[in-house]
Amino acid sequence: MTEATTLLLRLAAPLQAWGDHRAVVDTRHTSPMPTKSGVIGLLGAALGRERDEPLGALAELTIGVRADVPGTLLRDYHTVSDYRGVPLLSSKVNGKGRQVGTSPARYTMTGERFYLQDAAFLVAIHGPAPVMAEVTAAAKAPVAILALGRRSCPPTFPLVLGTTADPIADVLTGHDWLASPHARTLWQRKHRGASPATVEVSAVLDDPNGDTILQDQPLSYASSGPRHTSRRVRHTLIPLPTGFDPGPDATSGEGHDPLALLGW
Amino acid sequence: MSDKTTRRRFIDVHVLQTVPPSNLNRDDAGSPKEAMYGGVRRPRASSQAWKRATRLAFAALGIGEDQLGTRTKQIADHLAEELAARTGLDPEPAARIAAAVLAPLGITASKNKAEETAYLLFYGNRQIEKLVDLVADRAAELATLDDKKLLAELATAEVKSALMTGHPIDVGLFGRMVANVPGIDVNAACQVAHALATHAAELEFDYYTAVDDRQQSDSKGAGMIGRIGFNSATFYRYGTVSLHQLDTNLGNPKAAVEAASAFVSAFVRSMPTGYGNSFGHRTMPQLVAVAVREDQPVNLVTAFEKPVQAYGGTGYAEPSATALATEQTTITHQWGAPALWTGITHAFTGEDTAKALGTAFGPALTFPTLIDNLTAELSR
Repeated sequence: MTEATTLLLRLAAPLQAWGDHRAVVDTRHTSPMPTKSGVIGLLGAALGRERDEPLGALAELTIGVRADVPGTLLRDYHTVSDYRGVPLLSSKVNGKGRQVGTSPARYTMTGERFYLQDAAFLVAIHGPAPVMAEVTAAAKAPVAILALGRRSCPPTFPLVLGTTADPIADVLTGHDWLASPHARTLWQRKHRGASPATVEVSAVLDDPNGDTILQDQPLSYASSGPRHTSRRVRHTLIPLPTGFDPGPDATSGEGHDPLALLGW
Repeated sequence: MSDKTTRRRFIDVHVLQTVPPSNLNRDDAGSPKEAMYGGVRRPRASSQAWKRATRLAFAALGIGEDQLGTRTKQIADHLAEELAARTGLDPEPAARIAAAVLAPLGITASKNKAEETAYLLFYGNRQIEKLVDLVADRAAELATLDDKKLLAELATAEVKSALMTGHPIDVGLFGRMVANVPGIDVNAACQVAHALATHAAELEFDYYTAVDDRQQSDSKGAGMIGRIGFNSATFYRYGTVSLHQLDTNLGNPKAAVEAASAFVSAFVRSMPTGYGNSFGHRTMPQLVAVAVREDQPVNLVTAFEKPVQAYGGTGYAEPSATALATEQTTITHQWGAPALWTGITHAFTGEDTAKALGTAFGPALTFPTLIDNLTAELSR
């Protein structure tokens, strides 16, 4: 058994977008959490991999994602037009395989893009130590400009929180809550001043015996069509210390919350 | 993608810009776009809207013709002309060599006009220069060969790589993705974040009535009524350019530096035009800070996660500037991640603000000086 390392990333920004298998031309969805293909793709970009390069060791990495601040869904109305003011091309191709123009000429196409707004995630990536050393160095000094799932979503600093020899499950249960001081204040305001000793956050981690199947294990990022396969994962709720000052009148905030699993 | 061993430089651009009541980028309900950040609702202008404004601004910058693209069916003619001009060859042998140079690309001639290709090809004028470079030295010798030998001689020439690198600067910066034609994708060299207000602001509506000038005096009511959503904000705008990626895309270090500087100018000076005639929102930024970094791009939007408050009539711009300076200084010192070079343009005169900005980004410069200094730094 070779030595293994776990890399900890903080994925937080005003906007993120983790597309899923529902990707179609004019509607871009987002998953509620960073996808495995999204995170592996980000690491590939950091390493300077081309889209059509084989994934190699990156395909073998396992990951766990913890939704420290789940954020909310933003729907963005989007229009596409050619900045030169010429009509758009249609999806039809001619005999030579070239796209033909829209008829009658159309100048604007509308669509919608979904984003996660105001969210922060802890991502643990686990693999053989030599691979992880390379990946960690690249995440700290990336070759390509990184984005949280979509080009227009730059990450915020710091992206890399560090590395450890602990397995993913321990990292997810042991690492501090990533909510910023301001986000903690917001949490308390939303929960009517509650000051519980812990909060529960949801997490999803690779597990060969997991009871859920996700379709986001990357096979290829080729621009002609990214391909994915399925992976087994396990969902869990993890209690995290809040550091809130339990004043004399503070409520525990630990009542039954049937919607907690949904991250609401 | 650039060689992993080449020197990496990212150029971060931070802009603070206040707009009056306006609606520069609207959604399908006609209201200005918004997003939640730090638990509050804020005005937003999408990345796409500002990138389009930036591309349009390139035209106004007077960028040299050698850096822009040509879209034509007559690439063979264009190449023959340039070859003849460079080598003094007669038009006929020049055309023959040009055709042979392009043959390995499999660009077929149009059925109707032999001198045209079957479709419009978009290439950089600099790319034609590179094709000429491939054959100029031995043009006289090539002209003596017969067609078959000429094709064989040029079959191995690196024509494809000449046409797949050294792109025009707008393609080099914003990238190109053609899903069904492999091998001609270009990785974008810039990133633009959605512009986001540094503070909370609610959407408001302007209820308006329009009078019919020729309305009969006995009839009552307006000719038309409606409402326009608007808000007012101090935006934080962030964009970054990867100089090494731009270098790879353009295939020329000097062009890459010029294109990076042009991007900074165009990004800073541009603005989406939505409802421009109704609101006249065209302002100039109050602060532009540029950081050249060798490790990674750093987005300073975290300075505004806790929304800026405008206590005591300060407005939003000045406290936003202070927050931005504090964040930059924190990242430099606390995280040990200093920038290689910084420059700033602003006109804040408040003693504390000016001092904080000076510590974070250096002395205030005029914008043209900032661009000159940036270009000099990138050329080093």
